[in-house]
Amino acid sequence: MEDSDLTSSSNPPSNDRLAVQFNDAEIIIGLEVHVQLDTISKLFCGCSTQFGEAANSQTCVVCTGMPGALPVINQRALELSIRTGIALNCSIARSTKWDRKNYFYPDLPKGYQISQFDQPICGPGHLDIEVPETPGKLRQIRIERAHLEEDAGKSIHDESSLGQDSKIDLNRTGTPLLEIVTQPDIRTAAEAKAFLSELKLILNYIDVSDCNMQQGNLRCDANVNLHIPLGDHQIATPIVEIKNLNSFRSVERSITYEAQRQFEAWQEHGLTITDAPKQTRGWNDHAQATTLQREKEDSADYRYFPDPDLIAVTIKESQIKQIQKQLVQLPTELRKTLVEQYKLNPEDAAAIVSQGRGVVDYFSEVADGCQDSRIANNWIGQEVLRQLKESNQTIQQYPLSPKQFTELLNLVIDGTLDQTRGKEVLNEMVEHSISAQQAIEQLGIKPVDKNELVSLCEKLIDENQEVVEQIRAGNGKAIGMLIGKARKINPNANPGAIKALLSKMISQ
Amino acid sequence: MAGTPEQTTVNQVAKLARIHLNEQQIESSAEKLAQILGYIGQLDEVELPEDVTPFFGAIESVNAIRDDQLQASVPRKEILDNAPDSDGEFYLVPPVF
Repeated sequence: MEDSDLTSSSNPPSNDRLAVQFNDAEIIIGLEVHVQLDTISKLFCGCSTQFGEAANSQTCVVCTGMPGALPVINQRALELSIRTGIALNCSIARSTKWDRKNYFYPDLPKGYQISQFDQPICGPGHLDIEVPETPGKLRQIRIERAHLEEDAGKSIHDESSLGQDSKIDLNRTGTPLLEIVTQPDIRTAAEAKAFLSELKLILNYIDVSDCNMQQGNLRCDANVNLHIPLGDHQIATPIVEIKNLNSFRSVERSITYEAQRQFEAWQEHGLTITDAPKQTRGWNDHAQATTLQREKEDSADYRYFPDPDLIAVTIKESQIKQIQKQLVQLPTELRKTLVEQYKLNPEDAAAIVSQGRGVVDYFSEVADGCQDSRIANNWIGQEVLRQLKESNQTIQQYPLSPKQFTELLNLVIDGTLDQTRGKEVLNEMVEHSISAQQAIEQLGIKPVDKNELVSLCEKLIDENQEVVEQIRAGNGKAIGMLIGKARKINPNANPGAIKALLSKMISQ
Repeated sequence: MAGTPEQTTVNQVAKLARIHLNEQQIESSAEKLAQILGYIGQLDEVELPEDVTPFFGAIESVNAIRDDQLQASVPRKEILDNAPDSDGEFYLVPPVF
């Protein structure tokens, strides 16, 4: 973490400390994000990475670390890492190697994790994020590096406090992870959440990972401390690493909690970064608090050294170019396209893009088809997304093709269907997987003839003289009551047409 | 703990490995470590030209890569049989906490 401009004079008098307000402190946050890459086999062997299979059914001599077994790197894991690096504006290493990170834990059968120490596959890059609280303002978060490593197994500890054995499942051992490390550029819990949301979206768009947080496919550690102004200098509180955050909400809440906790601790005892080693804390979701874990082992304690079982991988410029060429449009570009080409406002564009590439493609096809991106956005943004949410479906599973949806919107645009009837038709189409025309027939929707509409309005005016007087007196809203009554008599009557006709007749 | 630099290292590694060594074991391990370091230390005497680039492996080839394809895993019973203790499904280890 940055501490170059900090003086090390610790333990200022407590009166000085108590005079400082929490809001004067700056929160310094860096994230380490572990992403499980979407490969079918493990990083160094051919065992399956499938989640949820029977314990210890997906292991072999390589991933359980039997003597003499030789790991061989997975081509797709390399490619997905390079793809991620390009999307995050990282430099891509021309030569990358593997190192052993040594530590002892029962779910690490080899006694070391194969990782990358000094030659990571992706070097410095950056990701620009927008925080919802300050729309339109981009913040650049620098990426320090991204390296490939293998995951460890899963420990199931006895929680009965009877001291029973821990159970170990090694299915996850050797699953490819890309660890993405940011610079300490993040300043608020909301920014941390925005960074993770954008990163997750990008990884989804480029098909690197499904980022399923429930299955642990995206895990995050947050390094947090405070810079606090004190007189003419500033001090930094000891750095805390919050481990294993597996939801956006826990990231946001744990950072908020931890910042407050560090401030209060500093006010109480005055300890600064120079007085205490980096601490590891865990987020307790139940207690909504961070709790102290073991002291962080020094990096040197991991005794990194090059893995003699693996040889370096060289990456050619032409390979990088090839992967770059295949890269799809990223969320940032798509938002821009939706604003500039489709004339959506930035909020609507962001909402569509946040739903994933499938929804963006669906929207573009419908908007192109009906030549009205505003209506396409209204209907997809409200009706389609609501229906998908209710039925817990993805856009790929949605029963209506963009072409069928366009057909419906064209009928709304040309006035054949008003909004309300249009929604009825949509529901009918979705429910029975039928075309707009079929739905219209089934619902018995018929165009209302002009004379029929006139006599309907005459009848309404005759029967509702009080309302008519109100409208004449300037109460424009009262007309809604008449439209409602008209729709009860004839649901096919177009509210827009009734309104126009009524207004004309009443003002005559 | 007072002792040779090797004894300090042995103690540190034993602590990280969560194993207990008695005095005699520390001493003999430290001696072996000193021998190994002495042997490897001969490399320091090699005079290298200025422009030599670091090399990390014993062989000069690069790019041993496999396709992302599945291979059969080892049957569970067979793999668990290598462990000191298991319940037929999981490895069993003494409680960590």
